[in-house]
Amino acid sequence: MKEQTPSFRDLYLKSAVLSNPVLVQMVGLCPAVAATASVRCAVLISAALSLDLIVTCVLASVLMKRIPRAVRVALYLGIGLALLCPLLYFIETRTLMNLGQGTKVYLPLLAVNAVTALHCEKVAVKKPVRMAFLDAAAVSLGASIIFLIVGTLREVLGSGAFAGIDLDLPFTLKGLSLPFGCFILFGFLAAGLQAISPYLRQAQEEEPDAPAAQPQEADPQDDLWSDILEAEAASSERLAALDEFTERLIGGEEDAQ
Amino acid sequence: MKMISTLLITVLYTVFVQNLVMSAGLGMSEAIRLAAKPEKFRSLAIMISAFSVITGTICGALSRIPAIATLPFAGRAAVYGGVLAAVYLIAALLLGLLKPQDRRLRGTLGIAALNTLVYAVPFLNEFAAYSFAESFFSGLAAGAAFVLAAAVIGRGAKLLASNSNIPAIFRGSPALFLYVGLVSLGFLGFSGTALFQ
Repeated sequence: MKEQTPSFRDLYLKSAVLSNPVLVQMVGLCPAVAATASVRCAVLISAALSLDLIVTCVLASVLMKRIPRAVRVALYLGIGLALLCPLLYFIETRTLMNLGQGTKVYLPLLAVNAVTALHCEKVAVKKPVRMAFLDAAAVSLGASIIFLIVGTLREVLGSGAFAGIDLDLPFTLKGLSLPFGCFILFGFLAAGLQAISPYLRQAQEEEPDAPAAQPQEADPQDDLWSDILEAEAASSERLAALDEFTERLIGGEEDAQ
Repeated sequence: MKMISTLLITVLYTVFVQNLVMSAGLGMSEAIRLAAKPEKFRSLAIMISAFSVITGTICGALSRIPAIATLPFAGRAAVYGGVLAAVYLIAALLLGLLKPQDRRLRGTLGIAALNTLVYAVPFLNEFAAYSFAESFFSGLAAGAAFVLAAAVIGRGAKLLASNSNIPAIFRGSPALFLYVGLVSLGFLGFSGTALFQ
């Protein structure tokens, strides 16, 4: 039987919002924390991560299904380097963009980021190319949106500027430019996402054409990323508990009325 | 005596002042993921330290070759990444040849070798202009910094999970992010950075 391919909207809602790689799965934190102190860096890192993730996932789906896992993981690094190092060289030599030392280091470090390896192993090597591409596009969009929100907030509130233009704010919160400020922003964004998730899930379930949720294929050999899969399952349980809590709260209010 | 104190300072600096996980977010995803599994700390610390030391030392030696030293930064990054991939593949091959019960180590090998913390060590050694001995101890300290961060995160996550006073929308990853932010602020204190001037 041919597997039903979910629409990009459903994939986006699941992979990019409800299971956001940064805020829910807590992967890809290194580039998110260190290289999103400004909007320009956030745009650059988002573009580089999307390029790396989409190309690696598509290649993994097309070429790497029969390659042993240990070799595949090294190949993800090789593909990432082949994409990101020329990109860094081009930016350094052919554009006037002045990358700070931080961004310069973090760009090649994206080649070993956990988002790429996780989605290549979890989806790309198990699914057809179209599905791998759509999943990678949805995930990179989800991560990029968070990078851009955090980059904007950190630059505006931390440095009093936007894309290098001084906003002449009466005060700034210098701490937001530093990694600890980024973690605190993540905390509030994750709480916001957790608050709206029940409504999004409800909307998705009420959608008449929405395909039924397919159970994830379990791979008994899968030990490399089992920790992340466990964390994701725990996160789903948390969301279910939150649903229940909200229902009880609404029920309690109705009873009181 | 002076050399010992220099090496000790390198280790203390890498573990506390410039704790790569807490102050730069390097290897943070892996630290959070493994925080709940203290039984894996020892093997992981050994593997991360070993990969950091081997990769850092080889890259340090290569960067002294004029043909590589004169490469643009992107070229050196590609060389360092290639070294890391080669070290990882050799380790995977060696572990594959060991007796069957040791093959479970291969599960964590990918996480220990191919993470941003290990890949960043050669760059940090280069920027700090570390000598061979300093690079060696900086690699060892990277593993210690990782375990310290994972242990602190793990302990905090346990306390947060058992705290029923946390509002529902902050339970789970939001509370953990806020906790990690506060711990990161604590580590910033070691560097003497002024937040309010």
